[in-house]
Amino acid sequence: MEYKVEAHRIMSISLGKIYNSRVQRGGIKLHKNLLVSLVLRSARQVYLSDYYSGACLNAAQSQREGNEWEEKFPPSTTECDRVQSPEEPQQDALPEKEREYRENDDAVKSDQVDCTSTLQQEQNQNSSLDSVTYVSSETRPETIIVPKESPSDSTEEAERDSTPEANGESHQPPEKHVCSNRKRSADETESGDSSKKRVKVGSSNAKEDEEAEEMDTSNVSNLITIFGSGFSGLLSKDGAKAESEAEDSGQICCDQMLKNLNPWSTAIVAF
Amino acid sequence: MHLILCICIYTYFCMCVCFFFFFTEKMNTNLFLSFFVADVISTVEFNQTGDLLATGDKGGRVVIFHRETESKSESEELGESGEYNVYSTFQSHEPDFDYLKSLEIEEKINKIRWLPQQNAAHFLLSTNDKTIKLWKVSERDKRPEGYNLKDEEGRIKDISTVTSLQVPVLKPTDLMVEVRPRRIFANGHTYHVNSISVNSDGETYLSADDLRINMWHLDITDRSFNIVDIKPANMEDLTEVITAAEFHPQHCHLFVYSSSKGTLRLCDMRESALCDKHSKIFEEPEDPGNRSFFSEIISSVSDVKFSHSGRYLLTRDYLTVKVWDLNMEKGPVETYQVHEYLRGKLCSLYENDCIFDKFECVWNSTDSVIMTGAYNSFFRMFDRETGRGVTLEAWRESSKPRAVLRTRRVYTGGRRRRGDVGVDSLDFSKKILHMAWHPAENIIAIAATNNLYIFQDRVNAENQ
Repeated sequence: MEYKVEAHRIMSISLGKIYNSRVQRGGIKLHKNLLVSLVLRSARQVYLSDYYSGACLNAAQSQREGNEWEEKFPPSTTECDRVQSPEEPQQDALPEKEREYRENDDAVKSDQVDCTSTLQQEQNQNSSLDSVTYVSSETRPETIIVPKESPSDSTEEAERDSTPEANGESHQPPEKHVCSNRKRSADETESGDSSKKRVKVGSSNAKEDEEAEEMDTSNVSNLITIFGSGFSGLLSKDGAKAESEAEDSGQICCDQMLKNLNPWSTAIVAF
Repeated sequence: MHLILCICIYTYFCMCVCFFFFFTEKMNTNLFLSFFVADVISTVEFNQTGDLLATGDKGGRVVIFHRETESKSESEELGESGEYNVYSTFQSHEPDFDYLKSLEIEEKINKIRWLPQQNAAHFLLSTNDKTIKLWKVSERDKRPEGYNLKDEEGRIKDISTVTSLQVPVLKPTDLMVEVRPRRIFANGHTYHVNSISVNSDGETYLSADDLRINMWHLDITDRSFNIVDIKPANMEDLTEVITAAEFHPQHCHLFVYSSSKGTLRLCDMRESALCDKHSKIFEEPEDPGNRSFFSEIISSVSDVKFSHSGRYLLTRDYLTVKVWDLNMEKGPVETYQVHEYLRGKLCSLYENDCIFDKFECVWNSTDSVIMTGAYNSFFRMFDRETGRGVTLEAWRESSKPRAVLRTRRVYTGGRRRRGDVGVDSLDFSKKILHMAWHPAENIIAIAATNNLYIFQDRVNAENQ
């Protein structure tokens, strides 16, 4: 358990570092951001694996995670994989972050059909435990949001990144897309159960899909503003900004994570 | 060894000169100490003869020290070598702004490298994050006197007072050191330049940033040749960056670069124009028992140096220094623990950003001793023949006259001796990142934040 707390703490610190690096004099240091993102990744893996195995750095778990991680990198599969991340703990915003992480990693090249198929593959591969978490992330994004209400630290993280809304159109399509994928996949996977999760899921079912999607996009926009024009430049494949975004590549994943953090926490606060 | 102490205190920028004795192969530490206080020093480098020492600081200034050569007989009697005095100070780089990317460019000097001397003038390369400059350092100690039309102050003479013609002659004058920029190598790098290295051919040099290495000709500023490019097509796939690069000291076609993953790559420029494919790759398999969240960070190589012989490589990662044999790629031949006691504190070092500190490492002139910095103003020296390491301190208050600089110890368990420092009482803000070793003698220059310490080994001739 303490590993989880430790991992979470390290993730918070890493995200803070990435955020601060943007305002540092001399521009973003690629090397440091790359290292921070690696730490963030390791911490996340531990955090997620710990949830299920109850043991930090369970070899099989980590390896499976690692394999899934590797699998997900092919552009067509990543988003959906993250969505169904079996390690999604019921009370953490991380899976959302990861989802965003993935989809943005691939420059948001999502293919709904592929996602669905990957989802199915993923589900087939998953153990029942995985399905449990998967179910928790079913139907709608809100359902995932609600469980995240419980930990106060996720809101802490969100607060840290609170910014006024801004419009990030480039994010909207992927957001919506992922949302819809999730819904589809959730419907398709009814295997396994977790009574706790079901309850939580049920309680959140009141939210509308559109609302969730709107929240997603608007919150994503918030995050975009946090990270400045650079991020949107990357997504819009703006050549002029390509290099500066490239420098932020080490940040990108974290950007994504933060992006997810803020929307969800904002949603939690709002509702 | 007897110690001879002499203290002279200069108040120019709080510069103090204290003579002590410093460290020899027997691990007796005698030090000859000079201070210099300035802005935070970011690089230190001796020239090829060791007579000149250049330091660069965070404010973009370069200060050059010159070794005074006292008369021989006097030196031998007193057993003193020349001391280093300020020779020249100049502003090398100014803060800059990249308008296209809205990024500020720091003026901090990342590296200084001297060129081999070819005439009376000295040349050095200094670089900040983006621009490399070649500076010419020349002395002027004569000036023409006896002009016909101007008087000594330069005022135009009244023509009517000029009755005869004289030929101006060169008369000795006070020494004046002039530093002028001769070349500016700009716009070669998208990412932050971390290393420069002058080639043994005397004509070219390389500059390395996070993802690319360029080769320049010293006379050509508008073109550079890209020899290494590890930028992935998709930046999201980025897994490692270049952290340091250096040319081989004798072979002008070989260079090495280190990565954030702890690997070293030796490249041969004769093989292909673009040396993305290495000739040799040096990496040590990771010890699975030491795996932690921060394994990747602490395995990142912060500095790489060829030995003077050209046979070995010295690398520094966060907790160790390693010596590699160019003929053996599978692992280092020697590994020295610099501050293993920090392994359990990696998390707090990550929080306070200390884990990202980039320590340098240096060889001595005979490649028998290696040195690197640590925290709490400590620096470590390792004798390669015996494998023993010693901890020394660069701290004014602890350097007393007539004292042998005693070795320090960090208490990590066992019997605690007087003077041992506990791990928790280490001052992590006092870090020694930059240092240089004289190319021929046992003289070291240690930069401790904004103080420069110069330690000399002084052997008392009487007792030999």
